[in-house]
Amino acid sequence: MTNFAGGTDADRVAGQAVAGQSVPVQSAATPSDQPSVERLASMGPAELDRLGTQLDHTEVVVLSVGPPPGSIAEKRAERQVAICFTLATVFALAFVVVFWGAGWFLPDWEYRIDGSAFGSLFTPLLGLTMGGALAFLGIGIVLWAKKLMPHEVAIQERHGGASPPLDARTAGGTILAGFQRTGAVRHKMARRSLFGAGGALGLLALMPLGGLIKNPSRGDELMKTSWSKGVRLLRDDGTPVRPSDMQPGSLETVFPAVEGGNRQADAATMLIRLRREQVEAVEAPSGQEDFAWEDYLAFSKICTHAGCPVSLYEQETGRILCPCHQSQFDVTRGATPTFGPAARALPQLPIEIDDEGFFVARSDYPEPVGPSFWNRET
Amino acid sequence: MTLSEPASAAAVRRRRRLRRKASRVTALFATLLVTGGLYAAMAPGGAAEDAEDSAAVEAGRELYEQSCITCHGANLEGVSDRGPSLVGVGEASVFFQVSTGRMPLARQGEQAYRKPVMYSDDEIDQLMAYIQANGGGPTLPSGDLRDGELAAGGELFRLNCASCHNFAGRGGALSSGKNAPNLSEASDLQMYAAMLTGPSNMPVFGDNQLTPEEKRAIINYVQTLDESADPGGLGIGRAGPVPEGVVIWLLGMGVLLVGVFWIGSKA
Repeated sequence: MTNFAGGTDADRVAGQAVAGQSVPVQSAATPSDQPSVERLASMGPAELDRLGTQLDHTEVVVLSVGPPPGSIAEKRAERQVAICFTLATVFALAFVVVFWGAGWFLPDWEYRIDGSAFGSLFTPLLGLTMGGALAFLGIGIVLWAKKLMPHEVAIQERHGGASPPLDARTAGGTILAGFQRTGAVRHKMARRSLFGAGGALGLLALMPLGGLIKNPSRGDELMKTSWSKGVRLLRDDGTPVRPSDMQPGSLETVFPAVEGGNRQADAATMLIRLRREQVEAVEAPSGQEDFAWEDYLAFSKICTHAGCPVSLYEQETGRILCPCHQSQFDVTRGATPTFGPAARALPQLPIEIDDEGFFVARSDYPEPVGPSFWNRET
Repeated sequence: MTLSEPASAAAVRRRRRLRRKASRVTALFATLLVTGGLYAAMAPGGAAEDAEDSAAVEAGRELYEQSCITCHGANLEGVSDRGPSLVGVGEASVFFQVSTGRMPLARQGEQAYRKPVMYSDDEIDQLMAYIQANGGGPTLPSGDLRDGELAAGGELFRLNCASCHNFAGRGGALSSGKNAPNLSEASDLQMYAAMLTGPSNMPVFGDNQLTPEEKRAIINYVQTLDESADPGGLGIGRAGPVPEGVVIWLLGMGVLLVGVFWIGSKA
C-alpha cells in the first residue's frame, strides 16, 4: 500500500476508512478486509500490527516464541541481560568519575615529563571505562534479542519478472510529470543558467587534477640537481665540510650550497669517509674512478627503488640500507645494490677540494637521482 | 779524541771545531733538561698520580690478559676473524663496550649485545687506563652531559640518528641480523662514548662533526624522550603510524569479525 508520511499504521487504516472514497488509495487489500471504525477502535496493538502486515501481503512465520513466561529459563535470561546493563551503568559512571575526578579528588592527569602513574593511566582508564560501558550495553541488547524475544521471519509476496506494462508506463509518467512541474521546460533562462553553473562547477572540480599533470621533460627537472662544478658541500646548518672534520667510518648528510639547498628533495647527499682497510678494497665502477677524494665518497641519499632516504650506514660492512624496502648498497663498489628491490647503484657525486680546503662538487651527478621513470635513458 | 797529536795549526783548528761541537751538544742537553724540568713542574698531576696511573695500567693489563687477550691479541693488535686491534681506540671505546656488558663477548656473532656488566667500575677504569696508555684515542668527557638545547638536539637526532635508532630512540633492524639498539637503557656517558667512537657498525661522530655541545643536546633530547610520561596504550615499539595501522587492522578488525560471525552463527 502507498505510505503516508508520518502516523502509525492504525491511524493510516482509520484515516483511509473514515475518508472513504474521497482519498484514492491504491490498496492491495480487498474492501472486505477493511474493518469498520468500531472494530478498529477495539483493536489492540498486536491485532493492529497483524492487520497491517496482512494489508501489506506479508506473512509472519514464528520460528520460536522464546522461553515460556515465568519459566526458569526466562528468569535466567532476564538476569543475564540485567547484569550486562548494570555493568554498562557501572562502567559509564566510572568514566564520569575518572573524567571529572582527575585533578579534583583524583591526582591531576596532565602531561608531565616526570609523569605520575595516574597520569599515564588516565587515557587508558577513559578508554577502558567507555569501551566497557558500550560493550556491555551491546552484549545486553544482543542477549535480550536472542534469549527473550520470539524469532520470526516476515515473508512478503512479490510479483515475478518485469512489472506489468501499465505500472511501467505510469511510473515513467510520474518521473516526467515531476520534471514538467519544475518548469524547467518553460523557464529557458533558469534552465540554461543552471546548465552553465553545472558545467563551470565541473570545470572547477577538474582543476586540482591539472596540478598533478606535468610535463616531466620541461626544464629537465628530473634529470639534474642543484649540484654543479664548484658548489660546496654544506651541512644542514649551512657550514662547509673539510676533510679533517670527519673520522674514518663516518657519514655526514650534505646539501648543495645554493639558496634553499638543504630543502631540495633531490639534492641530499651522503658524504662518507671510509675506514682505512676499506680504502684498499674500493672498486670504483668504470668511468667513476676519480669521483672519490682520497678516502671520501659522496652518494645520493635518494634510493633508486622508491625514493626513500637511504641513510642507515653500517660503517664496518660499508653497507647503506634503505629503511623502506631493505635494499642494501655497497659503498666500496660504487654503491651498487647487493640486496633488495633496488636495481641501480646510488648515483655518485664527483668531489674535490677547493682553494680554501672545503669539499666542493666537480659536477652534477652523472645520472638522474632517485627511482626510475619512463623517459630516463640509463 | 786526539789531544796527544802534535800542536800544529791543523790540530788547533781541529780542536777548536771539537770544542765548538762539544759546546753545542752541551747547550742542547741543557735546553732539553730545562724544558723537561719545566714540563715536569708545570704539567698537571704529580709523581703520586703517575704512580697511581701506572698501577691502574698494570691492573688493567692483568684484566686484559685474563679476558680480552684471546680475541684482541697479546699486544692489542687484534686477531683476524675474532676481534679488532685496540691500539688507538681510546678509553671511550673501552668504557662503552665494557660498561654496557657488550665486552667480554659471550660468543662470536653478528654483533655484540647489551648484557649484564662483568666488571666493577674500578675494573672498568683500570681497563680504560691500560688501553688509553697503549696508543691513546678518544677520551671520556666530563661535566653535565645533558647541558644542551633540547630542540636543537631533536633536530640533530632526527637528521643523524633517527634513521637507524627510530625517531623515538627504540632502535631498528640493520642488515644480516644486526640491529641498532634501543636507546632507553643507555646512560648519558654511554651515548656520548658511542657517538665519539662509533661502536660496531655505528658511524663515528667525531668532535668536528658533532661538537661536544651538539652531542650534549642530543643526549638531553634522547633522555627527555625516554623519561617523558608514557601516554598509555600499547606502544608496539613506538614505530609510527604504519605499524599501528597494521595492528588496528589485523587485531581490531579481526576481533570485530569474530564478533560478527558469532552473532550471525547463532541466528
